[in-house]
Parts: sequence; structure tokens; C-alpha cells
Amino acid sequence: MADFTPEELRAKILEYLGKKDKAKNRDIATALDTNKKEVDKMVNEMAKEGILEFLYLGTSYVKLKDKE
Amino acid sequence: MTEKKRPLLDELKKGKWPSFVTEMEKSAETKPVVNSLLNLLERSFEEKRVHWKHGGIVGVRGYGGGVIGRYCDLPEEYPEIAEFHTIRVNQPSGWFYDSKAIRTLCDVWEKHGSGLTNMHGATGDAILLGTTTPHLQDCFNDLSDAGFDLGGSGSNLRTPSACCGPARCEYACFDTLDLCHNITNSYQDELHRPMWPYKFKIKISGCPNDCTSSIARADLSIIGTWRDSIRVNQEAVAEYVDNGLPIKSAVLDYCPTKCISFDKEKKEMNIDNENCTRCMHCISVMPKALRVGKEKGATLLLGGKATIVQSAFLSWVIKPFIKLDKEDNYAELKEIMEKIWEWWDENAKVRERVGELIYRKGMGEFLKATDLEPVPQMVHHPRTNPYFFWYPEDFAAEKEAKDANKEVAGSEVSE
Amino acid sequence: MTNPYYAKTDIGPPNFWNMLPQVIKDNYGNWLYHEKVKPGVLKHVGETGDELFTVRVGSPRLLSIETLRWFADIADKYCDGHLRFTSRHNVEFLLADGTKVDALVDELEAAGWPVGGTGKSLKNLIHTQGWIHCHSAATDASGTVKAVMDDLYDYFKKDDLPAKLKISMACCLNMCGAVHCSDIAFVGVHRKIPTIDDNGVANGCEIPNVVASCPTGAIRPNPKAKSVTINEEKCMYCGNCYSVCPSLSIMDPENDGIAIFVGGKVSNTRKGPEFSKLVIPFIPNEPPRWDSLVAAIRNLVEIWVKNAKKGERYGEWIERIGWEKFFEVANLPFTDKHIDDFTFSVPTFRTTTQFKFTDKK
Ligand code: HEM
Ligand code: HEM
Ligand code: HEM
Ligand code: HEM
Ligand code: HEM
Ligand code: SF4
Ligand code: SF4
Ligand code: SF4
Ligand code: SF4
Repeated sequence: MADFTPEELRAKILEYLGKKDKAKNRDIATALDTNKKEVDKMVNEMAKEGILEFLYLGTSYVKLKDKE
Repeated sequence: MTEKKRPLLDELKKGKWPSFVTEMEKSAETKPVVNSLLNLLERSFEEKRVHWKHGGIVGVRGYGGGVIGRYCDLPEEYPEIAEFHTIRVNQPSGWFYDSKAIRTLCDVWEKHGSGLTNMHGATGDAILLGTTTPHLQDCFNDLSDAGFDLGGSGSNLRTPSACCGPARCEYACFDTLDLCHNITNSYQDELHRPMWPYKFKIKISGCPNDCTSSIARADLSIIGTWRDSIRVNQEAVAEYVDNGLPIKSAVLDYCPTKCISFDKEKKEMNIDNENCTRCMHCISVMPKALRVGKEKGATLLLGGKATIVQSAFLSWVIKPFIKLDKEDNYAELKEIMEKIWEWWDENAKVRERVGELIYRKGMGEFLKATDLEPVPQMVHHPRTNPYFFWYPEDFAAEKEAKDANKEVAGSEVSE
Repeated sequence: MTNPYYAKTDIGPPNFWNMLPQVIKDNYGNWLYHEKVKPGVLKHVGETGDELFTVRVGSPRLLSIETLRWFADIADKYCDGHLRFTSRHNVEFLLADGTKVDALVDELEAAGWPVGGTGKSLKNLIHTQGWIHCHSAATDASGTVKAVMDDLYDYFKKDDLPAKLKISMACCLNMCGAVHCSDIAFVGVHRKIPTIDDNGVANGCEIPNVVASCPTGAIRPNPKAKSVTINEEKCMYCGNCYSVCPSLSIMDPENDGIAIFVGGKVSNTRKGPEFSKLVIPFIPNEPPRWDSLVAAIRNLVEIWVKNAKKGERYGEWIERIGWEKFFEVANLPFTDKHIDDFTFSVPTFRTTTQFKFTDKK
């Protein structure tokens, strides 16, 4: 399992979501091979900053804000 | 706005029960959108079908829940309600309000929405029914400035709710309102930002009467109980009997464990508390004479849910008794909850509730993951089939016991 | 329109303590007992001897802010501004001064707000959104509820039923409310499999999610059309797939309707909680006043009132006489629909020779 600094993790999440329409935090953690709790924390932080947003399609996902 | 006739809905203004149509028409006087909503509803009554669809992202910054996007499927004909989103506002514990708080909510909702509410939704939240996307952030800002926050929706912790408990109920075995407030505030991230496979609901009832229907409606049901004896006031018992309470047919015969005896001479009631299952029947019939015990806490039950996707489950016991201490900030309960979330989050498929996960994986795995002790209180009866599993750790434990020169009772398994 | 201001997040709900009337603060956790004063009015007595009166009012749940403000005015006038709501959509006015109770009740009643729903009465009917606001509703919620409550109004106002009576409604099989554990539950049902809009599925839905959403495994991918197929024999019309994918419409005005279940309860009193069980598989949608539904529920209530012993909830009564007798008393047909064939069905089959005959006539 990979360990990232917060800056690295943030960049990796942005990069991953840049390639996807949407993802669950679990998918992000699996793809980055890292701890899901850390991903949760970072996703929440980025959501509060308005960089990410959530959507609900049977279950909840995150996506980059304003990405179609 | 052309005034339309609504003969079908007019029928529902008749009758003695308060009419939701009348409520909507009150709002329509100042809010033209509600007229559109009424017209659409009349159309649903004519056609016998809904005209709402889901989809689309709406929300306020930083939140993944609390706003539910609603769109009319006939936007050209009903442009005023093409968007008609729901906002869930986290209710104060026990749904206690003062008139100032009510007026604050009304003022915000007059400014930003349709003026229609549900007090309250089945989730527990106060529901503000119907606004447009551009109003959402402003509405949230005003709510937040006035001291209100959003409730949960989506794959997150849903707004916990609690019965009125010690505020107005002598049966309360712990402070339901404080626990609800505490949990809600401790898990704001989990409430607002969905990061789980599916939803998780907590409902809190102060005694086995379970006024919040937690066993049927919550993943985690926290239900007050006691482990010592029912407190009996024999004078009050005698008074009930003197006033004509048929104690045998109304109380003794209904006791599910038949653990009450009544001494007719002395007019005394004796409860065999060892065998009482704390069903509340006798206490509910004779509240002046009987009180719940003194050593109070709660039973934790897990897994309840409505029919979708697997069958309906009622929550089942995972911890027969837990002390709920304000002083240590409910540490033991929180530790258990967090372990449950972690195991569920780790193992569940998308849209799998915790009860379904346990059904799929087995209680054995669940108990191991959460360090909860298997006890007979968890089942109606032990299993009737011989298909159980053995694990390396069972054999290791046996070996250890053997090495320590102790007999392991009840096991035939050898190396 | 949106200004760039972002308010504080995560502040949580207002603290309930600030909402409590003084008499509750003084007696918090130290209530001794309660008694009913009259239907809709409870009196709680604290260890200090203080008294708290509760006046319960039924509401249709959907309330305008005009009405809420009026409730706030009433709370100011009689209750130092204090009120609460219950989990069954009631409004409760809380006051320490018993002398004001009658005037309060009179004013509420005069304005058309029924006081009742305590003790052995019909409780307010809990229900969901229906045609007013949800996408998957097979019937309306507020309309059916209004029609049923108008008809059963007197049972809300009195408290001389055999036991409390809880009726609930959900407008689709999602069953948002605790409908599956009510004395009488009515639920919107669909009866035909969803129609598949292949184009819509291909463009708007996630096939794996759609396949996974089906509790009976009825949905298979249809790679050719980039869509799905639904196995008619397995689909039980739950609409779950529709919630995940709007292009699988389950709406069918001609065939959607209502099913009735009875005998459930959620409290642990006496016997533990119970699911409600199916008694009427289908009643058509008859807006605006759903006459067949109203008549069916009245019949179900009346046979219980007539036959149950004092203290027996709906399910307890049926359990005493047996389900086979119940169908006889209710004069309802028993059909293949009543025999479970979903998950966990086998334990509901009768595995004993003990039963009562009801075909003797
Ligand atoms: C995929 C499945 C589901 C979808 C898409 C869904 C969607 C919705 C929507 C859109 C609403 C809001 C209605 C409104 O206010 O406009 C709602 C309300 C609600 N849902 Fe669901 N729901 C689903 C499954 C469930 C299930 C299985 C349960 C119960 C276990 C449930 C419990 C609730 C509750 C309690 C409410 C509040 C209802 C009220 O207060 O009237 N939902 N749901
Ligand atoms: C651990 C679980 C069980 C095992 C391994 C088991 C095994 C067996 C076996 C091997 C037989 C056949 C005996 C023969 O051929 O003479 C049998 C017969 C029987 N079992 Fe079980 N059984 C189990 C549980 C139960 C339970 C829970 C019940 C009842 C509730 C039950 C009721 C019966 C009856 C009535 C027979 C006699 C059937 C006959 O004579 O044809 N068994 N069982
Ligand atoms: C791979 C494992 C098993 C094999 C190969 C097996 C094989 C057999 C065979 C060959 C018979 C017929 C015996 C006869 O009538 O002469 C039989 C009968 C029976 N077995 Fe098994 N069995 C297995 C597992 C089980 C298990 C796990 C149970 C119980 C839970 C079970 C319960 C029974 C019962 C109740 C009968 C008696 C049926 C009857 O009397 O008609 N068997 N088994
Ligand atoms: C006579 C004493 C009782 C009093 C004063 C009382 C009071 C209440 C109150 C105030 C509520 C609304 C609770 C809330 O909104 O949080 C309620 C609901 C409820 N009560 Fe009781 N209760 C009593 C006895 C019982 C008994 C004996 C049972 C079980 C048989 C019971 C079962 C329930 C249930 C299941 C609900 C919740 C259902 C719902 O409204 O959603 N209660 N009760
Ligand atoms: C949707 C259909 C049904 C489901 C999902 C269902 C599920 C269940 C479950 C999970 C239990 C165990 C409850 C517990 O552990 O306390 C149970 C118990 C029971 N069910 Fe059902 N059931 C259904 C329909 C029925 C029907 C139609 C009947 C009878 C006509 C029935 C009669 C019973 C009885 C008598 C019990 C035993 C209750 C007890 O142990 O106290 N069920 N059911
Ligand atoms: S659950 Fe028990 S403690 Fe809570 S309000 Fe109901 S009867 Fe009282
Ligand atoms: S609480 Fe229930 S089980 Fe216990 S003595 Fe009373 S009636 Fe019997
Ligand atoms: S029961 Fe179904 S249709 Fe009704 S509000 Fe809930 S999800 Fe919507
Ligand atoms: S309606 Fe329900 S059972 Fe039928 S295909 Fe859709 S999800 Fe499956």
C-alpha cells in the first residue's frame, strides 16, 4: 500500500477524477493503492474547498466540480 | 398565472381531517409556484401517475447530502416547478422547538422557497419542499447563519433521531436527547459527506417501547433498558386494584414470561425480575406503581432496514447491555460504532446495507471484526444445521488450552 | 443570483436544551408518572410534583409556513412558546399551567386541528411523499391518507379502541416509513415489469449498477443494444432498477395500485416486533377519494374492534385466532399471492398438523 504526503494524495485524486466521470472513495483508494480513510479525509477537505462535489445515482459518488 | 379548476383535489378539501390541499392553497396565496404544483398534482390525480423524475446534481458547497434534486418531467408545461428541490434540515433532538426557531425557519423558507414543509420527514429531518438550484446556496447560508444545519441524504450517516426521553418520559433509561445531539455533532463529516457503500441510520429510543420505531427503521437501534429490578410501589399497586384495575386479566395474563404474582390479601405485586424480559407491558399499564430499574443503559441492535434490496430485516441484538455515559462522551458506544462502520465500509458491495452484509458474511465474521462477544441473547435459538465453520484460530486456541493442561469441554476435535 | 458568500458548515442542529420549557428543564430525567387527562391530552408528573401537560394535534405533515407561524402564535399564547413534533407527524403543545388546557384545545379545534391520538386511539397516519414529490410512487400518499383519516376521524378523537392502532402508508416498495411493522399498512404496488427504453439505458445508465440493483437477479445485460433485458418470471416490480436508471420506467397508471398488510408492530411490549402480513394483494387507484381502499380499511378496523379482546393489538388478535380464522372473519379471499415465495419463504410455511378448518361453512 502506498503512502502519500497530503500534497501528493491531493494531486493523485485530482488526476484520477480527471480521467473519470465519477467515482466512489473506495474506487479511488483501490486505484491509488492507498488507505481509504486518508482518501476520505482528503476528499472531504476538497469538497469543502469547492473543488469536488458529490452526486447520487443509487449510491453516492464524488466528481470534479463542473466536470461534465 | 391562469387560474385552473381542480375538481379532483377540491374533493380532498372536504372531510374533517386537516387537508394538505388547504395547506397548499394557503401557500399558493403568496407563492405562485405552489399553484403550479397543485395543477401538476391535479394532473397526477387525473392520470394516476407521478410527474417527478430524479437525477442531476444539486447541493451546497462542501456537502454531499441534505439536498435532494427533484425535477418535473413536464418542464415545458410547468416551468415554475421544473426544478423543485427538497432541503433536509437537521431537527433539534426530540423535535423540540420554540416559537422563535419555527419563525426563523419560516422566514428563511419564505425568502428562498415554496413555503411548503413536511414537519417532519420519515428521516427525522424538517423538510423544506421545493426550491430552485440558484436558491440552494443562499438558503443554506441563511439557515446556517440562523443556527440550522442540513441533514443527511445519500450514502452517508443519516440524521440520527431520538424519542423525547428524559424531557418528558418517566420510562427513559438514558438521556436520548443528549446522545442524539452528541452523535450528530461528533460525526458531522459522516453526515454531510457520503463516503460509504450506502446509507446508515441511527435511531434512539429511551426504553423498549421504542417510540422511534428504531428496530424497523434504523441500521443501528439504540434502545434503553435496565438490568436490575422493576421498582414497585406497593401502595400505588393497591390503589390501582382498589380503583378497579383487573390486575390478573390486564397485567398478569399479558406478561409474556408469566413472571408476576399477585398476593390478593396484601394487594402486593411480586415480580420475578430474573425472568422478566423487560417488555414494558406492566409498567405501561400501571405507570404510577411501577418504574423501570435503576441500573440503566441500552441494548444495541443492528441490521434493520426496509424491503429493498434483500427482504426487510428487523434489527437484531449485538450487545445486550451498554452503559451510556455522558461523562466519558459515550466512548464505548462510539468505539463499537466506528468498528462497525470500518468493517462495513471495507467489505460491503455498493448499495449493501450493514444487515445485508452480515447476512452474506455471517455473524461470526462480524463479531470477530467488531470484537463483540457471541452471547445467546443474540438469537431466538441456536442453529439447527451442522454447517458451521472452523478456523485456524480455533485450533490454535485449543492447542493453547491443551498445552496449559486444561480440558476443552464440549469439543471432540483432535489434531 | 447566488452571492459568493459561503456560510459556516458542520454546525450541527440547534441545541435541543435551548428549546425546552422551564418545567422540563426542572424535571429533566425526573418524571415520576403520567396519566391521560382526556383523549389528546397527557399529564406528566415529576418527582417535585410539577406538572406538564401535552396537547397532541394531528397534522397532514405537509404544512405551509402560514400554518407553522400560527402554531408558533398559539405556542406563544398558551405555552411560553414551546412546542414539539412527534415521529408520527403530530404537533404537541407543552404547558405547565393546566388551567389553560381547555382553552388551548378549544382554540385548536375551532381552527380545525383535531386533538387526539393518545392512548388506545388511532394514531396519526405516517406516510411518505407520493405524487406530490417522489419519482417512484405507485399511488398518492397525501390523498389516500386524507381519505382514510377523514373516514376514521372518530377513532383519532376517542381512546376506547382495544389497543392503539397504527396505520402507515408508503407509496412504493421502497417503503420509506416503518410500514412493514404497522397494525395496518397500505403500500403502493406496481404489477408489470418496467418498460425498457434501450436508447435511454445506453446513454444514461450504468449497466453494472442496474444489474446489481435488482434484488431478484432479473436483469441481464443486453450487449447488442448496450442495454438490459428483464426476466419476466423473476421480476417482482419493486422499481428498484427504476430508482437507479430512469429509462426503466415502472409507471403504469392502469395497473398500479395498493396492497394492504396487517398485524405488524414495532414496540417490544409483550411479544416482540412483528412484520405486517399481506391480506389484500391489490386495490386499484381511485383518485381523488380511493373509495375501495377506504372501505377495505374500515372493514379491517371494524372487525378488529368487534372481535379483539381488550388490550390486543391487531397482530395479537390475529395470532390468538389464527390467520386462517382471520381470513374467514374478514371475508377476504386467500390466494397464491398470500403465500410467500420471496427470500426466507420456507419458514413461513405451516410445518405442523395443527390448524383450524375454515371451509366447513
Ligand atoms: C434506490 C433507492 C431509493 C431512492 C432512489 C430513493 C429516493 C428517495 C427520494 C428521492 C426521496 C425524497 C422524496 C422527496 O422528498 O422528494 C426519498 C425519501 C426517503 N427515502 Fe428513499 N429512496 C430509495 C430507497 C429508500 C429505501 C430503501 C428506504 C428505506 C429503507 C428509503 C427511505 C427514505 C425515507 C425515510 C425518505 C424520507 C421520506 C419522507 O419523509 O417522506 N429510501 N427517497
Ligand atoms: C444437526 C442437524 C440434524 C442432523 C445432522 C440430522 C440428521 C438426521 C438423519 C441422518 C436422519 C436420518 C435417520 C434415519 O435415517 O433413520 C434424521 C432423521 C430425522 N430428523 Fe434429523 N437431523 C438434524 C436436525 C433435525 C431437526 C432440527 C429436526 C426437527 C425439527 C429433525 C427431525 C428429524 C426427523 C423427524 C427425522 C426422522 C425422519 C424419518 O424417520 O424419516 N432433524 N435426521
Ligand atoms: C457429502 C456429504 C453427504 C453424503 C455423501 C451423504 C450421503 C447420503 C446417502 C448416500 C444417504 C442415503 C442413505 C440411505 O438411504 O441408504 C444419505 C441419507 C441421509 N443424509 Fe446424507 N450425505 C451427506 C451429507 C449429509 C448431511 C450434511 C446431512 C444432514 C444435515 C445429511 C442428512 C441425511 C439424511 C437426513 C439422510 C436420510 C434420508 C432418508 O432417510 O431418506 N446428509 N446421505
Ligand atoms: C402510556 C405511556 C406512553 C406514552 C406517554 C407514550 C408516549 C409516546 C410519545 C410521546 C410518542 C411520540 C414519540 C416521539 O415522537 O418521539 C410515542 C410514540 C410511540 N409509542 Fe408511545 N407512549 C406510551 C406507551 C407506549 C406503549 C405501551 C407502546 C407500545 C406498545 C408505545 C409505542 C410507541 C411507538 C412504537 C411509538 C412510535 C411510533 C411513532 O410514532 O413513530 N408507546 N409514544
Ligand atoms: C414479506 C414477507 C415476509 C418476510 C420478509 C418475513 C420475514 C420474517 C422474518 C425475518 C421473521 C423473523 C422475525 C424475528 O426474528 O423476529 C419472520 C417471522 C415470522 N413470520 Fe414472517 N415474513 C414475511 C411474511 C410472513 C407472512 C405472510 C406470515 C404469515 C402469514 C409470516 C409469519 C411469520 C411468523 C408467525 C413469524 C414468527 C414471529 C416470531 O418469531 O415471533 N411472515 N418473518
Ligand atoms: S421510547 Fe420509551 S423512553 Fe422514549 S418516549 Fe417512548 S416510552 Fe418514553
Ligand atoms: S416488563 Fe413485561 S416481562 Fe417484565 S414483568 Fe412486566 S409484563 Fe412481565
Ligand atoms: S415510499 Fe417510495 S415513492 Fe414514496 S416517498 Fe418513499 S421512495 Fe418515494
Ligand atoms: S422492478 Fe425490481 S425486480 Fe423488476 S427488474 Fe427492476 S429491480 Fe428487478
